[in-house]
Amino acid sequence: MIVGERKPLNEIKEKVKDYKKLLILGCGTCVAVCMAGGEKEVELLASQLRIANGLDKKEVEIKEATIQRQCDKEYIEPIVELAKKYDAVLSLACGAGVQLVADMLEPMPVIPGLNTRFIGIAEEEGKWSERCRACGNCVLGEYGGICPITRCPKSILNGPCGGSQGGKCETSKERDCAWALIYNRLAKQGKLENLYKVAPPKDFRTQDFPARQVNENYVKATKTEEKEATAKK
Amino acid sequence: MGEAFEPKVVAFCCHYCAYSAADLAGSMRMEYSPNVRVVKLMCTGKVDTIHLLKAIEDGADAVFVAG
Repeated sequence: MIVGERKPLNEIKEKVKDYKKLLILGCGTCVAVCMAGGEKEVELLASQLRIANGLDKKEVEIKEATIQRQCDKEYIEPIVELAKKYDAVLSLACGAGVQLVADMLEPMPVIPGLNTRFIGIAEEEGKWSERCRACGNCVLGEYGGICPITRCPKSILNGPCGGSQGGKCETSKERDCAWALIYNRLAKQGKLENLYKVAPPKDFRTQDFPARQVNENYVKATKTEEKEATAKK
Repeated sequence: MGEAFEPKVVAFCCHYCAYSAADLAGSMRMEYSPNVRVVKLMCTGKVDTIHLLKAIEDGADAVFVAG
């Protein structure tokens, strides 16, 4: 999932200070799971802003809404009319969601309420950690399902380096050395011979941005359907 | 001199302990400050940040949870 964290209240207050009617829009997928931008967090932020505005003697109308996803047009469409009644939208989605909402509500200002952090997993309740850098050329198969690009601060493909000590990384005592993890996993899988191979430098051209992906067959089928429908008319 | 500030306090109390204690205090004819408003909950495990914020938003000066 995409992991995000709420911006500090003072920063949000500053960004929305000029608006008299504000819609706080939550996203019910990734950022809801990481307790940063779902329905509950929208409710909390709205309450905090109402209290802050009350203390500042400011009259601001705050509306709360949460949609399933802000990165899909289908979910944004039903709230477009509602959103247009407001001066600005404070979106609690990841950067992708904020941008699509801003596109669909143009020229309305859409302000981010979160900082988008990484693609990660939930380690335990309240703890998330990064697992994927979206490099576009997955090597997990060679490294026992542990990503050296993401989990090794040096992203080295022929590790470990000299900074690996007692299974920990020299950059932080709390951080496991990805290469120690890889070694142990491959040992359990009986595939240590994988590590005799020297990995060539990784081709990072697959990580070009802005990245785009098209499912040609799907696009073709949709176009054919549209053509047939037009022909029938 | 104006009137002394009387804070409105909302108390979220657990049915099985704090609320029972307040009830017992009442049976014993003991008094507590009238600016404390008690909200009984079946368990204070139910209390969420939003309940505390809503109380403050609606005019409480302080809240406390007893359970």
